[in-house]
Amino acid sequence: MALRAQPGPVETFVQSVVSGVLTGSLYAMIGVGLTVVFGVMRIINLAHGELVMLGMYGAFWAHALWKLDPFLSIALWVPLMFLGGMFVYRFLLRPIIPGGELNTLLYTAGLSLLIANLALFAWTGDYRTIKLPYAITPLRPFGIAVPIPLAIAFALAIVITAALYLFLSRTDPGRAIRATSQNPEAAALMGIDVERISMLTFGLGSALAGAAGVLLAPSLYLYPTVGEILIAKCFVIVVLGGLGSVSGAIAGGVLLGLVESLGAVYVSVAYKDTIGFIMFLLVLLFRPSRLFGVGKS
Amino acid sequence: MTRGAAGAAVLVLVLVPPLLTSNPFLLHLAITVLLWTLLGAAWNLLGGFAGQVSFGHSTFFGVGAYTTMILYLKGGLAPWYGMALGGIVAVLVSLPIGLICFRLRGPYFSLSTLAVAEIVRLVALNWEGLTNGPVGLLITTLPRVAWGGRILDWESKVPFYYMIATFALASMLATYRLSRARLGAYLLAIREDEDAAESVGIDTVRAKVLTLALSAFFTGLGGGFYGLYFRYVDPDAVFPIALSVEMVFIAVVGGLATVIGPVIGAVFLTTIGEMFRERFLVGHLIFYGLFMMLVIRYLPEGIWGGARRAWAKRP
Repeated sequence: MALRAQPGPVETFVQSVVSGVLTGSLYAMIGVGLTVVFGVMRIINLAHGELVMLGMYGAFWAHALWKLDPFLSIALWVPLMFLGGMFVYRFLLRPIIPGGELNTLLYTAGLSLLIANLALFAWTGDYRTIKLPYAITPLRPFGIAVPIPLAIAFALAIVITAALYLFLSRTDPGRAIRATSQNPEAAALMGIDVERISMLTFGLGSALAGAAGVLLAPSLYLYPTVGEILIAKCFVIVVLGGLGSVSGAIAGGVLLGLVESLGAVYVSVAYKDTIGFIMFLLVLLFRPSRLFGVGKS
Repeated sequence: MTRGAAGAAVLVLVLVPPLLTSNPFLLHLAITVLLWTLLGAAWNLLGGFAGQVSFGHSTFFGVGAYTTMILYLKGGLAPWYGMALGGIVAVLVSLPIGLICFRLRGPYFSLSTLAVAEIVRLVALNWEGLTNGPVGLLITTLPRVAWGGRILDWESKVPFYYMIATFALASMLATYRLSRARLGAYLLAIREDEDAAESVGIDTVRAKVLTLALSAFFTGLGGGFYGLYFRYVDPDAVFPIALSVEMVFIAVVGGLATVIGPVIGAVFLTTIGEMFRERFLVGHLIFYGLFMMLVIRYLPEGIWGGARRAWAKRP
């Protein structure tokens, strides 16, 4: 058998596009969670990354303690994160919101530090991984390596995001969420219970963060402060897509995934993360209406 | 109490501790509290008075720390000059950052400072020729210095204590001066309503950039001190987001736009944090998060602000 040839330029390109889109789909899910919460409540939730981290640890412990595959335990963690999110909104966040945007920003910064450090205290700072038997050999369609856990995560992310999209566009609560996000006063005048919708939305955002965490867990290292870097990426995504815009966040997530993986190949591995941040600053400064879709005032 | 008496009381409070104890843990605690007082007060200049919540102050801290270390290790410049230069380099770095980020307002400003800080951290991590990358920089010996005919003992914590006490007092004095100065009034106007401030003729960008420079100077000074005291810096120690966040928390929990607030915040949070760390090693920021949430909910003016209000309302 001939030795495997060095990948040609075309294969390298396709390979990095594929891994960019796979990772990007998960970024998109995290971004969508943050952006719906911002749309409805005008809260920039700095603890969003910690919710992803909780999902990752949920997957880890379900696998370590009960031998439960992460792609099955997602069915357990998503409803739990949904309820937890509604609880956090109702008892912690709601009383703060009248204090203004900066107060809620600082409050969620406090929440983020609290959750991350409780996790550090309970689970130590050790790096952990989930070892799945089917993760060892990647799929090789057309000579491109696709890790199986990432492929499954991608498929599930598409299913979940599509379900969310249908929920937002076709159901009554979904329409109520979009209406509140466009104009809370008008929504309230149309008989929408804005308080209940806010609670529902925060639950939804948390569930999405948790789901993304579970899906990411087999492909990343887990440690309690992983949320810090995830939230930074998340801001890049939602600002690229326009804060509050769901389709923008999806596009922004995929774009960031692509930029990181192409940047790692063609610019430099060390600086791949800076490219995203530089794009973020440029968009913030020069395209306040954001890169995709309609900007909201 | 007159101002002179207050000044004397503060001086006694600051000068006396090393005479009372030589317990290294207590002195270390006092040094940590004073370092955080300095950082909290520095952040408060911009965050408290101008209401510009920066999540990127670790940039100035790290730049100050690296300037001091690099000048000493590669240029042989004594670290005390290096510390001052660390503050000045932090000011230089703050100018472009201010001109970029101050084009944004409110939470968007906060997010942009976060992005800048991450970019700077990644550069520090990867520019190995300058920063030695993730390995960090280590000072093995400090130069011999005589002070009043005695050789200073760098193994003892006392010289560091007086050094950081001076810096912390200077930052508090700067806060006091700012609160009395025209610039301070401009900043309060910007905090309350930026458009209104602009419409009465305040050059808001200039006021904010100046204040950021002042804030960056003290933060950079603190970074230089950190490098000298711990004799070791690496990007994860001096450039993390968590460091910026801690500065924010100290100022907010203590009381925004007050002179005493950062001291209260630093004493309160650092003491709890260090005692927790001494005992459990990890997770010492649990209480930072908790107190931040409690303060925002129940005492939006911070501990000192709340206490002052209660005192004013006494029967």
